[in-house]
Amino acid sequence: MSVNMAVDLGGIAMRNPVNTASGTFGNGVQFEGFYDVGATLGAITCKGVAAQPWDGNPAPRLAELPSAIMNSVGLQNPGVAGFVERYGAYLQGLRERGCAVICQIAGHSLEEYARATELFEELAPWASGFEVNISCPNIAAGGAAMGATPAAAAEVMRTVRPLTSRPVLVKMAPHDVAEIGRALQAEGADALSLINTIPAMALDVRTRRSRLARPTAGLSGPAIHAIAVRMVWECAQAVDLPLCGIGGIASWEDAAEMILAGATAVSVGTANLTDPLAAAHVAEGLERWAAEQGVDSITELVGAAEL
Amino acid sequence: MQDDVRPALHEFVVKVNEPVAQDTYRLLIEAPELARTIAAGQFMNLQVPGDASHILRIPLSFSCADAAAGTVELVYAVVGEGTARLAAMAPGQRSTLTGPSGTGWRVPEQPGRVLLVAGGVGLPPVIAAARMLAAAGVGFDAVVGARDAAHLYERGVDELRGMAPDQLCDCARRVLVTTDDGSAGIRGFVTQAVEPLLAERTYVQLMACGPAPMLRGVAELADAAQLPCQVSLERLMGCGFGACSCCNVELAAGGYALCCQDGPVFDAKEVVL
Repeated sequence: MSVNMAVDLGGIAMRNPVNTASGTFGNGVQFEGFYDVGATLGAITCKGVAAQPWDGNPAPRLAELPSAIMNSVGLQNPGVAGFVERYGAYLQGLRERGCAVICQIAGHSLEEYARATELFEELAPWASGFEVNISCPNIAAGGAAMGATPAAAAEVMRTVRPLTSRPVLVKMAPHDVAEIGRALQAEGADALSLINTIPAMALDVRTRRSRLARPTAGLSGPAIHAIAVRMVWECAQAVDLPLCGIGGIASWEDAAEMILAGATAVSVGTANLTDPLAAAHVAEGLERWAAEQGVDSITELVGAAEL
Repeated sequence: MQDDVRPALHEFVVKVNEPVAQDTYRLLIEAPELARTIAAGQFMNLQVPGDASHILRIPLSFSCADAAAGTVELVYAVVGEGTARLAAMAPGQRSTLTGPSGTGWRVPEQPGRVLLVAGGVGLPPVIAAARMLAAAGVGFDAVVGARDAAHLYERGVDELRGMAPDQLCDCARRVLVTTDDGSAGIRGFVTQAVEPLLAERTYVQLMACGPAPMLRGVAELADAAQLPCQVSLERLMGCGFGACSCCNVELAAGGYALCCQDGPVFDAKEVVL
């Protein structure tokens, strides 16, 4: 008997729980040579986009570590208008093929988040919903993350919420996920995505310099998976919102762990770089697992860890 | 940017994996679809089995794609743990690669001779460029630089010498070798051989691949001679097909391009070398 794999991520209907983490999946089209994205995934999350184009950080933006990478891309993006012009037709088609499309909103200030949201509202009627990236540097505050505290995160949500009636997710940084999660729920977030990359540092001991152009960068990959599972579990205890679990998911087992810890959906991230078919394999594996677990719907396994 | 680049996942079988110079190996793989579709200057991303803690693939350019035989030849330097594991792969072993990736060399629109310049393991994509030019009936000269005689991929130099002769010009092809210590060919950097060639013979364009300082030097000489110059760049890569934006190349006009998608071959004037 086949299991119903469909999930509802805060109003975003997904055919299965598999999503992709922003910044690791291009905007979907880059993977069409590997598999039929529209027929396979529950959703994709596009790269973070701001109201105006951002150049991103200088090179090098990447370092490889054991079971992990570090990146400091700095949200290079063509601005909402450029993004829609280049990817809008593809993404609308993806939605029509049954794959939800989540657009990620970036900003350096509350005004920039508001402007990007307004532009998306105007130019991207095909978007299934939005994910607000609150880890962007706040220029006015010397580069600290826009949503670093419960109050600051709530302020970003309060800015974006009135500007769209479509589902709004928030991509959470890997700290204080219970407190910040509660603050975001109070401001009307529809779902939470966690975790973003973990701030980290890697030095070249010969040159005494950072291995990347920036002193610190975001760690991702299998090395962070167990941390992410713990944070999803903590957040799930604190809020009454669906969660999208992200962090080092490279196999269906990793994804199943996230679901048991309390995630309604999961995003495959860095594994897309290692194995471009990773997200497709996770979707297949989750369905087999759910059948083996003897459930009628995958949703019965959300938060079903017996602790 | 080119969004029409659609690399696929291919299985490959190692046919030959042999040392050809110090720390330098020649790998011949069977990958029929890739051999049919990959263009000169494009690259592939190989997964080398044996260590799951290394999660990125290895981006490598190629020197020859033989569509009839279904094989692709790569010449690579052992520079780290990943390429050392690649060097240990035996004939018959299988793995996967993604490709073809990126934007490769372009045959100059203007008729005339091209000057090819290669430094170190910049040689394989330059051999692919030479094959492309020879197939298009475009003549070329070449300068090949290496650290010393031991590191020189001599078979590659012989290949450049042996390719179909220039159809447009009856003067003999010049293929010069330079080494830093003079143990083979001219003592010095490639630029020391490029400069007199530019003064002596007529070219329509330069095409170069090698270390960044070499590319800067070659691009300066091309600029002084008022000739266009294509350069093939190397970057650390995350995905190799435009998904992660990690392999940025600074543009002269400001902002960044992606090496894996907009390159690896760029017009030297468009990028900051």
